[in-house]
This record gives sequence, structure tokens and C-alpha cells, in this order.
Amino acid sequence: MGRIGRFIDERLDVSPLVRAFLDRRMPGNIGWFHTLGSATLFLIVVQIVTGIALSLSYVPSPDHAYQSVLFIDQTPFGALVRAIHHWAAGLIVLLMGLHILRVFIWGAHRYPRELTWMIGAGLFFVVLGFAFTGYLLPWDQKAYWATVVGTNIAGAAPFIGGAILEALRGGEQLGAVTLARFYGIHVWVLPAALLLLVGLHLFAIVRQGIAASPRRRPLVETEPGLSRRETYAREYAAEKRAGKPFWEAILKDAIVAAVLTVVLLALALGPGAPLEPQADPNITNYVPRPEWYFLDLFQLLWYFTGNLEPLLIFLTFTLASLIFIFVPFLDRGRHRHPRQRPVAMGLTAVVVVGVLGLTYLGASASPPGVVRVPPTEGMSGPELGGLQVYNEQGCSACHQILGIGGQAGPDLSRAGRRFEEADMRRQIVTPQNDEMPAYDGLSQQQLDDLVEFLKSLR
Amino acid sequence: MDEHRVPGRSSSGPVEPGATISSPAGGDPAADETAQARAELSRRNFVLRALAFIGGGIAAVLGIPVIGFSSAPGWQARAPIRLLSTSIVPTLRSSALTSVGRVADFEVGVPQYVKVDRPIVDGWVAENAPVGVHVVRTSETDVTAFDPHCTHLGCPLAWSTGSRSFVCPCHGGSFNSDGDVIAGPPPSPMIRYEIQVQDGEVFVGALQERA
Repeated sequence: MGRIGRFIDERLDVSPLVRAFLDRRMPGNIGWFHTLGSATLFLIVVQIVTGIALSLSYVPSPDHAYQSVLFIDQTPFGALVRAIHHWAAGLIVLLMGLHILRVFIWGAHRYPRELTWMIGAGLFFVVLGFAFTGYLLPWDQKAYWATVVGTNIAGAAPFIGGAILEALRGGEQLGAVTLARFYGIHVWVLPAALLLLVGLHLFAIVRQGIAASPRRRPLVETEPGLSRRETYAREYAAEKRAGKPFWEAILKDAIVAAVLTVVLLALALGPGAPLEPQADPNITNYVPRPEWYFLDLFQLLWYFTGNLEPLLIFLTFTLASLIFIFVPFLDRGRHRHPRQRPVAMGLTAVVVVGVLGLTYLGASASPPGVVRVPPTEGMSGPELGGLQVYNEQGCSACHQILGIGGQAGPDLSRAGRRFEEADMRRQIVTPQNDEMPAYDGLSQQQLDDLVEFLKSLR
Repeated sequence: MDEHRVPGRSSSGPVEPGATISSPAGGDPAADETAQARAELSRRNFVLRALAFIGGGIAAVLGIPVIGFSSAPGWQARAPIRLLSTSIVPTLRSSALTSVGRVADFEVGVPQYVKVDRPIVDGWVAENAPVGVHVVRTSETDVTAFDPHCTHLGCPLAWSTGSRSFVCPCHGGSFNSDGDVIAGPPPSPMIRYEIQVQDGEVFVGALQERA
């Protein structure tokens, strides 16, 4: 300790605290997967620092928001800082998801760390709140339309949905009041919640110690008759004796933070932060798509239709959130090792595959109404003519052929096998159900070609 | 918390409250201590309760205006009280009558997208702002007008001439030229504008959101 260190320590007496923090023992097997949490925390700090910097030049008003973002991008380092803020936001969602997965697979949400998990779950929702409110601030097309969709999803809640929607938007319409509110929530309300929850999360981690890696058999044999608390205390003490000091683990955290910094700089200097044209509430040919981390939810909304749709949206999101928050009380067997929890691991795999699958579908789905099915080699003259009719009449708005087009109507990829020719003709010109508009203005030639084309799809 | 624990009965059996105070001389010192500890404990409880009471009072007095103000847009304009959302579309509202052209300008059955400047109030902003309207002439004399947003989640609706429908780019919802749902997830028809035709000129009024 240098002279300055001694000067401070004689007055504040902090060295015992520092020693207790750095030298406390931890279980062994604390590896690279354990850095996911600290990496998330590191990115949160990055967001606070870059966010404060951005707020120095940003104006939360529809008249000036977009222009102030352009101004930021033209100021030295401005585009870099904004791009870091943009990419770190996505990385936080990614790393947080992996951190949650790691904790669950390791069984670290089990006794006595249930509260740590629940505080962490709260942090997850706060982070999604940051993403959702931060979206709107640049006031570009993506910002505006993502907020239209997002506030409407919140408005789907039964009974109080309307009040929630209007409290979020600051009224029925989306405009100046909405932007000011989202800015206030993004820079004051959520940061306050974030700091509180991060503090509680870290407090809980330091008080309980980091969970030992799951073992198929505990390190020490415990006698029957001991309470859960005593059994746990013995096992954890044995884990700590066989473990290492905390300062050993920080090195890995620091290395990960350094790597993340390089990744962030590469993303910020490479692709940079996107900025679409200024928000235009009256545009009709814009195709709203959310950031990748909301694509799974966005895609999910394809599958809810009808009058019960708002209720289904609400129930699905609420149920999923409640299960996520209270999972420590649902997954509570004797064993922590993943191999001894086949049901929990199976369900986890289903969730992971579901999220990845929906994200992929959302990312690859072509927007309806604007796509054309390309011709393939070997198509006959009438078939090509039919394809042209298909594209001109905008059939892709509702129908899909080999993954191209909308999903409102039946998939026509195998129309030639699924439908009889006479049925096709009747359905096109005089549909029996009112699901499909009647295409009674086609010429006989056009109809013949179209049917020829559809018959060729096998 | 240990220093406040009342010693067990083993010392001198049950002690009457206040007993030691009335017998200052020659009293049982253990009982004396116990009574003092009890007095301290009840005072401690009193102070803690008082703290909770004062804190709760301050929080309520300051919290009501703060939370009331922050949530005001959620309830101030909601008279008569209606809980379910009727405001899917993000459109800037205007109740003025605004001309969108003459009936003769429109072809029967073919929607036309018109942008007109309308007087709007957006929080502290009161100005003329462009508002987009899908105008459909339904007969020689009749015209309807729709807000260009999907009733599913509010995405922008464009008229697709090929499929003769309004198609939503978000989740494939589609509407016919009457604004009725023909496919996809939208739960209700497109939202109409109030329409007035005066001497062949078409005026749009307020959005007809509440049936």
C-alpha cells in the first residue's frame, strides 16, 4: 500500500473491507461460464456512461429528436458513442439470456438463492424496458412503428389495457407526449430501478456466496436429521475449503470485459448504429420489424387470431413471466446436477429451441404484400404466364409458395396435390368462404395460366 | 437484538409491570433490570412503529401527486370510465371537418390514399399536421374514409391493387375495401372517419373509434 493508500486507510479504515471482499473463499470450478453475469454488469456500466454522454446532445421532442441524433452522429466521437450504446444494448440482452440459462442449468437458482434469481428476473424485465423505451428515442421509422406495436401489445391486457396503453403513450395518440414520457422512463425511472435491483442482486450474491458447481454426489456426507439449512451449510463450507479466493475469479471477468470492449468497438466502428428515415406516421409502405431480440415475440403474434387474440397475448406473456420469476419454487427437487433433472433440462431445451426457432422465422419471413415469387427453370409458357398473374394479383399477400409470402391463407407450395383443378377455378373466381376476395376480373387466359401454374406446384 | 431480550422467567418468576418503580429500596435487582428492559423494548417498538407511520405518511402525501401526475394520461381523459383500449391507432386526432377532395375525384370501389393537413393537439403542440386517410367511394354519392392503421397492432395499411385488399405488413392481416377483415389476426374492421358530403365535396371529421 502506497502513501496515499495509507493516508486514506487511516481515515476511512477500508482495508479490512477490501480484504474481506477480495480474499473471501469461493467454491472451485468457477469458470468462464460464470463471467456471463459480470459481463452483463460491465455492459450495464457501459450503457450508463454512454447514455449520459448521449443525453448531453439529445432532445426528446418530435420536432428535434431526429435532428439531434443526426447532430450527435456529426459531432466528433458522437457516432461512435451512439453505436456503442446501440450494440451494447443488444449484447446485454444476449448475455443476460445466456447468464439466465447458465444459472438454471447449474441449478444455482435453488435453495438458498431463490431471491437472487427473482431479483435477477426483475432485472431482465428492466433491461427489456430499457430496450423498448430506448427504441423510440431516435424518432426514426423503426422507432415510431416499434412503439406503435409495443404499446398496442401492452394495451391487450384485459380490463386495464386501455389505461396502460394511454398511460404509456401519454394519451390515445403517439406523439410529443409519448416521446417525452419514454425519455423520462428511459433515463430516470428505469435506471433507478436498475441500480436498486443490481445492488440487491450483488448484495444477495455476496451474502450467499457464489453457488458451487452442481455435483452428482455432495462433497461431504451429511447425517440424516440435519435441517436443510445445516446440510447446505456443511456442503457449502466443504466446497469453499476445496475452492479458491475471490480475486482469482476477477481476472477472468476482466479478460471477458476487455474482449467485450474489443467486440463493441468492432461493431460500433464497422456496422455502426442504424438510423432509418425520420418517423412518418402517414407512410403506408413501411414494413415494421423489431430488433432481433424482440423478433421471437413479434413472430409469436402471427399465431394469435380472432376475438380472443388480446386475451391470448396477455395470458401467454403473463404466464411465461410468472413461470420465469417463480421457477425456483417450481423446479425444486433434491438434485442440482443437470443430468439428474431430465424434465427441467428437457423443458429448457424446448424453450431455447422455441426462442431460436421463432427468432429465425421472424428474421427470415418475407413481409406479406410486397414479395414476388421468382420463376424456376423448366417452367412452361402457360406456367410462367400463371406465375406472372400470381405476382401481379398480389397472391403472396396471403399465400406462401416455398416459404415466400404471407401466412393468412393456405400454403400453396403443393397446391397441385392438394386441390382439384375445378375446385381451384371455383375458389379463385367465386370463393365459397369470405376469407378470400373474389378474383372475378381475370381474363379466361389469365385464369387458365394461373391454374396451370398452381397445378405445377407439387 | 439480543441486548433487548427479556430475561426468562427463571430469575424471579413473573414480574408485574411497574413493580420495581414503586419499590425503590430493597427490591429484587433482577426484576428491576427486567422491568427496565421491558420498558425499553416497548419504547423501541413504539419508536419503530412511529417511524413506519411517519415514513408511510410522507410517502403517501408525496406519492399521491407524483404517481397521480405520472399516470394522468391513463385516466384523465377516460370519462366516461372505459377500461378496454379503444385507441389502437397512433394517429394524431382531430375533430375538425377537413376536405379530402370532391366525390367526383374518386373512382368507385378503388381506395385512394389522401394526406391532408388537419389541426391537431399533441400535448403542448397545437398545429396543422399532415394526416393520412384511405378514401373509398362506394357509390355515385357515397364515400367512406378509413384510418390507415391495422386494428391488430397498429401497423401501416396500404391498398394492394393486385389482391384488392388492405394488407398489413406485420402479421398479414388483410381488409377489403369496406374495411372488413378478410384474413389474419385483426380482431375488428378498419377504423372509419366521420364523413360529410357537402355540394359534392368530401369532409372527414373525427375518428369513429367508439362504437
